[in-house]
Amino acid sequence: MQGFGQGQREKVLSLTCMEQQELENVFALLLLGSFVGFPAPPTFLAVELLPFMEREMQVLGQRAEDASDMLGQMMGTLGVD
Amino acid sequence: MKILFYTGKGGVGKSTMAASAAWQLSRNSRVLIVSLDPAHNLGDIFCVSLNGREKRMSDRLLLREVDLHKLSRDYLEREIGVLTRTYSYLQALNLDRYFSVLKYSPGIEEYALLTSIEETIRREKDFDFIIFDTPPTGLTLRFLALPQITITWIDRLAQIRRQILDKRHTIQKIRGPRKEGDEGQEVKLAFDEKDDAVLNRLMALKGNYESLTGILQGPDCGVVLVFNPDMLSLRESERLVEGLRDINLPLRLLIQNKVTEENRSIAGQVVAELRKMVGEIPLLQVALSAQLACGLDSMLYDIPEDLVAPLDWRR
Repeated sequence: MQGFGQGQREKVLSLTCMEQQELENVFALLLLGSFVGFPAPPTFLAVELLPFMEREMQVLGQRAEDASDMLGQMMGTLGVD
Repeated sequence: MKILFYTGKGGVGKSTMAASAAWQLSRNSRVLIVSLDPAHNLGDIFCVSLNGREKRMSDRLLLREVDLHKLSRDYLEREIGVLTRTYSYLQALNLDRYFSVLKYSPGIEEYALLTSIEETIRREKDFDFIIFDTPPTGLTLRFLALPQITITWIDRLAQIRRQILDKRHTIQKIRGPRKEGDEGQEVKLAFDEKDDAVLNRLMALKGNYESLTGILQGPDCGVVLVFNPDMLSLRESERLVEGLRDINLPLRLLIQNKVTEENRSIAGQVVAELRKMVGEIPLLQVALSAQLACGLDSMLYDIPEDLVAPLDWRR
């Protein structure tokens, strides 16, 4: 029973994790968008926050890398093999 | 302490009016006059060489020139310092290259200007008047609007940030307490608002900008609009008045400079047009001076018009 609970827990967790990463991605994109041509907040705001954005930038980079395989990623999240 | 911004189209005599007002004010009060204009006429008017520094003209009058390029460079260098301390895995060398590109991104100059104004206002408590001689209209409006635009952005970003923290908190709760030996990357992620560096920085910035907006819109701050008796300067003045209205900054005084006997009728028309927009704001007409002025003994500081009395808007 304990293992079953753990399994369910992990499932929920991976979804929430994904949601969180997506949010972090959006946050980074909004903040640093001016560097890739998005209408974005005043540049200095990005510069001001840049020192604390290590993780968000990693997520952003990861997302860009995964962009070519969006479908695969989605299937992975939904648990379709 | 009163804070004044002398604004207007290029060449109408902003710097001259600001300098003369500073000179007249300094008879009875302590005055700091700061030139934010990259053209930097202030030193020329007082016949001193400032070169981005300051110079004391008398016990009560201090001149200062702000070097925009140096300011943006200093600001970026400070940020690079924080970056290299925070980012463990990146080499300072690469960052340097990255930041040399940042220097050309839009917005850095306005921000440097705003920072300089903010620092001046906060630091210089020993003066009765701080007079800013501003750069051309476009840039001036942009940096004066900056605090309010930034606050809007900060609010939106903080909202997303809170959602992220909320998700992290949920994850933390589902996972339960960590066992010993678990050394995942997730462990390090802050989920409490107090621990999140990004949100803390955002909130600190917001507080900063709100207090600056408060000062700029407050009873001790005012904008002086300088214009000439011609249509070009009228049109630009109208745009400036509109811009100031949008960002809610108080216009305190109109100065019509270079009025002569010949252009008096046009001067009247220009004033009438402007009056339609601004209503009952005090107006001062200053005659065109034939003398080219330079130095402390020059005629410039004997401009017969009283530039001080209309500045006392709470009387």
